[in-house]
Amino acid sequence: MDLKEKLVSSFLAFENHVDIDCQIHDIRTEAIKTFETEGFPSKKDEAWKYTSLNSILKQDYSVFPKQENAIEYSDVKKYFIHDIDTYNIVFIDGKFASHLSQTTHDGIDVCLMSSALNKPKYRLIIENYFNKVATKDSLTSLNTAFAQEGAYIHIPKNKLVNKPIQILHFSTGSEVALMQQPRNLIVVDENSHVQIIERHQSLSNNPVLTNSVTEIFGNKRAIIDYYKIQNDNVNASLIDNTFVNQKRESHVSVHTFSFGGKLTRNNLNFYQNGEHMDSTLNGVTIIGDKQHVDHNTLVHHIEPNCESHQDYKGIFNDSATGVFNGKVIVNKEAQKTNAFQSNNNILLSDKATINSKPQLEIFADDVKCSHGCTIGQLDDSAMFYLRSRGIPEKEAKALLMYAFANNVLESVKIPELKKRINGLIANKLGVNIGFDL
Amino acid sequence: MLKINNLHASVEEKSILKGINLEVKAGEVHAIMGPNGSGKSTLASVIAGKEEYEVTAGNILLENEDIEELAAEERAHKGVFLSFQYPVEIPGVSVTNFIKTAINANRKAKGLEDMPANEMLKLIRSKSEMLEIDRKFLSRSLNQGFSGGEKKRNEIFQMAMLEPKLAILDETDSGLDIDALRIVANGVNKLKSKDNAVILITHYQRLLDYIKPDFVHVLYNGKIVKSGTAALAHELEEKGYDWIKEEVNA
Amino acid sequence: MSKYTEDDLREELKTKEYEYGFYTDIESDTFPIGLNEDIVRAISKKKDEPEWMTQWRLEAFKVWKEMKEPDWANVHYTKPDFQAIAYYSAPTSVDPNKTLDDVDPDLLAMYKKLGISVDEQKKMNNIAMDIVVDSVSVATTFKKTLAEKGIIFMPISEAIQEHPELVKKYLGTIVPTKDNFYAALNSAVFSDGSFCYIPKGVKCPMELSTYFRINQAGTGQFERTLVIADEGSYVSYLEGCTAPSRDENQLHAAVVELIALDDAEIKYSTVQNWYPGNAEGKGGVYNFVTKRGLCEKNAKISWTQVETGSAVTWKYPSCVLKGDNSVGEFYSIAVTNNFQQADTGTKMIHLGKNTKSTIISKGISAGKSQNSYRGLVQVSSRAENARNFSQCDSLLMGNECGAHTFPYIEAKNKTAQIEHEATTSKIGEDQIFYCNQRGIDTEKAIALIVNGFSKDVLNKLPMEFAVEAQKLLEISLEGSVG
Repeated sequence: MDLKEKLVSSFLAFENHVDIDCQIHDIRTEAIKTFETEGFPSKKDEAWKYTSLNSILKQDYSVFPKQENAIEYSDVKKYFIHDIDTYNIVFIDGKFASHLSQTTHDGIDVCLMSSALNKPKYRLIIENYFNKVATKDSLTSLNTAFAQEGAYIHIPKNKLVNKPIQILHFSTGSEVALMQQPRNLIVVDENSHVQIIERHQSLSNNPVLTNSVTEIFGNKRAIIDYYKIQNDNVNASLIDNTFVNQKRESHVSVHTFSFGGKLTRNNLNFYQNGEHMDSTLNGVTIIGDKQHVDHNTLVHHIEPNCESHQDYKGIFNDSATGVFNGKVIVNKEAQKTNAFQSNNNILLSDKATINSKPQLEIFADDVKCSHGCTIGQLDDSAMFYLRSRGIPEKEAKALLMYAFANNVLESVKIPELKKRINGLIANKLGVNIGFDL
Repeated sequence: MLKINNLHASVEEKSILKGINLEVKAGEVHAIMGPNGSGKSTLASVIAGKEEYEVTAGNILLENEDIEELAAEERAHKGVFLSFQYPVEIPGVSVTNFIKTAINANRKAKGLEDMPANEMLKLIRSKSEMLEIDRKFLSRSLNQGFSGGEKKRNEIFQMAMLEPKLAILDETDSGLDIDALRIVANGVNKLKSKDNAVILITHYQRLLDYIKPDFVHVLYNGKIVKSGTAALAHELEEKGYDWIKEEVNA
Repeated sequence: MSKYTEDDLREELKTKEYEYGFYTDIESDTFPIGLNEDIVRAISKKKDEPEWMTQWRLEAFKVWKEMKEPDWANVHYTKPDFQAIAYYSAPTSVDPNKTLDDVDPDLLAMYKKLGISVDEQKKMNNIAMDIVVDSVSVATTFKKTLAEKGIIFMPISEAIQEHPELVKKYLGTIVPTKDNFYAALNSAVFSDGSFCYIPKGVKCPMELSTYFRINQAGTGQFERTLVIADEGSYVSYLEGCTAPSRDENQLHAAVVELIALDDAEIKYSTVQNWYPGNAEGKGGVYNFVTKRGLCEKNAKISWTQVETGSAVTWKYPSCVLKGDNSVGEFYSIAVTNNFQQADTGTKMIHLGKNTKSTIISKGISAGKSQNSYRGLVQVSSRAENARNFSQCDSLLMGNECGAHTFPYIEAKNKTAQIEHEATTSKIGEDQIFYCNQRGIDTEKAIALIVNGFSKDVLNKLPMEFAVEAQKLLEISLEGSVG
């Protein structure tokens, strides 16, 4: 039985198991139909021209993990930003791990999707926001059909959340191959500010496929900084579908750091429903071996006087493949839009590939839109300069690569996180130097 | 030459000029001074016919003709020239191509044929020499990447080419070093004659050391509140504008 | 030649209608509408083609029948009914032994209207000219002068007869019959076009030019151009297109193949001004064209195009940079107004070492039109030190049009250096006021600004074409500002 059939036929069992009377029953039913009709995307779809899921879909994934696998904090501490106080929402093989988590209902809700779907007090939020910005494409629909667990974060008006929220998904390898479909909902109301860090981590070498959907709502004047750390092990693949709906004067930024994993596809979509806001999409990708990272972004400017900034840097070694497919749409009404998109890449190996497709679709005349894309190498004369000062080749290379990615790193607003990312980069580049220059 | 009667003008419903009266005769140089935001640049734009500005009362007579209904280019054909405070860039259009187009458009409005190419060349050469403009400069895209001084010199070059009856120089001295100021002022002085007139709009008295005004007016809060001779400019330089404000507000 | 001024232009532009929109009543020999194997055979027979050519067409037709019309481009139109088109139409008075004196006076009068009086062109501009009306080549000038240098410039129908070895060797090698839907169609039914061969080491002393015109109603035009520049040779080739104003959509599906052998250079310039349809979007030419060139070692191909016409344009002049050190260039201005749609760009395929490509694309959208740049820069794993620079700028006029950029960049070699930049902007009100203040009226100000915007590309055109192109830019944008 192929994966699609398996998923479709599991659906009834799944719904019976969770709760057939659930508020979102109709949405799930509709979604599985969509998935059944469309199936997994193939390279024939323009949006998937450069990324094939074939090899990943061949695995016989278990869709519902059977056994619980307890892990201790000490086993996984290194995956937390542990040197500062944070809220934590932690899942093990898709199930909430209360002993590793620190949730809250004190003025804000930092808790679980499963309880939000079941408890009446969340009913209104679910009704107003759940599946409201997520698109109806096949993979998102697949997630929607099986939407059950994930992070639920609701920040009411005028709250400055005083510590970052970490969302961590661990997979233990208790199954031969595991498919997970976490579903996150984040609603930030007027004038509130929150910082969120999301990470997926496999603890074994067994194949894992995660098809995640996150819906983010930034209401009027909300400020949201969202960080995605993608440093999973070589048999873990991630399809991350993130949808951001912004209201007037809000500022939302999503930073994606992709260093690990077998195949990573980021579908990051911003919809600007209001004036005077800005959206930031940043990314640093450093990969090697046969890794594949695909950034597929959309910024849809719907109303006037808004800005968007995209800055993606990629460094590709060995037989790695990088894809950047960024689209900016400016509606006819969205006058005075400023939209900037930049994608810079360095190829370090003859077998590495980069495919870049930055697109602009503009329907308004009074706008400033630009995109730039470069593919190049490290600057030889800079290399020579560093080496002539006694810095060994490997370190010199690492320094230049770090410098190349630096402006994106500078935009990380949590110092401990920045330090951690710097560490990951040093590790990835195989050097032992601190980059806190 | 120019007669402005009780001119009121507003932009986006905001009233900026509140009753200007001014008469400029042929052969005269008038300086209009005033603190920031007093309406100096607005007055220049209204005379030149910028559409965003709405004349709500009064009129502007150029050689006894009311020009209110005339489009900006028609006023230009009648000899109004504005040296812009912030000249815009037009990428890909060379200084030469631009001035050629402008000259021929003005000639056409007068029912004349295009200026023959060799005559045009001669004219460009003599005027650019007068303003110490390098030949290379003429092939650059209009105002693109020009320094502040180059932009202003280019404005005066265009003025020299077009030989207007009424030249309005809006803050032509801002951003100029002393050498550039001297060149620009020299250019203006050479272009002055008994048949044309010049209005200098400036915040400082500096330019007036080089171009001697016959009259100096102080614009404040949309009105000319004081008029006098060159001596008034010196007084303003020494005492600033506060005493004028006090006088008006008293 | 004398410098063209903006005012010359103004004078010539008193009429705002498409000025090439006349129909000349000349007797035509037109096939019945529809397409099947018999029609393909009949076209071949009409041309008295050798058997290999007939077979080649039939194979293409077989392939075409199996293919689907592509729909990935950013254009929307009613798909043509391929059975409602006449695939062959020729002015009847064409005699195979024609000289200019024998040409139908009506035809000559038509060329005059097009501003391309054959006589005058011959004398004044030193341009050798081939004219294709509907589907048939009607006059090739300067044949003798060219022949002295060994240059072959003739209708492709004649080349099939006179130089079968060359045609056989190269036809369909750059754009294979099965390359795409329209190329396959063209291969099956093309009735004429130009053929050009420049021998080794010869620099063609004059611009070679072809003028295409669709005259007859209900016909499609399917011309085929093949240019071969042998080792170390050089040629500059110009192509112009017009069609009468008609309410129905007419189909133009051409194929152009360029072969630049070692050290050769081909410069190919197009001013495309097919009828764009009226202001309400009715009628106009569907321009679905496949153009591609192959560069061998140290060779260079440069495409320059000014696209102002056609209701729908689908066109990607491309370079396959096969030889080491070869160079590909693409300079394009695409103007769309009213309801026009253009999806145009280029492909630069870097296969050889040290290959270089440059792409400059200027899109100007006005009215309710949609203007897309679509380009591919591909660096294969063997293409050491490949370089590409791309610049795509869009200018929007008014708030009902769209400008789109779809660049595809694929690099598989670490020594590749690729830079792509794109911007979108509009004509500023302050720019227009500045021009107004200097006495330049708004319409002329816009022409001036648009010409400035397009300058990098206009500069690449041969002088005669640059003048026409500027003029076309202005006609195309008339009435686009309120």
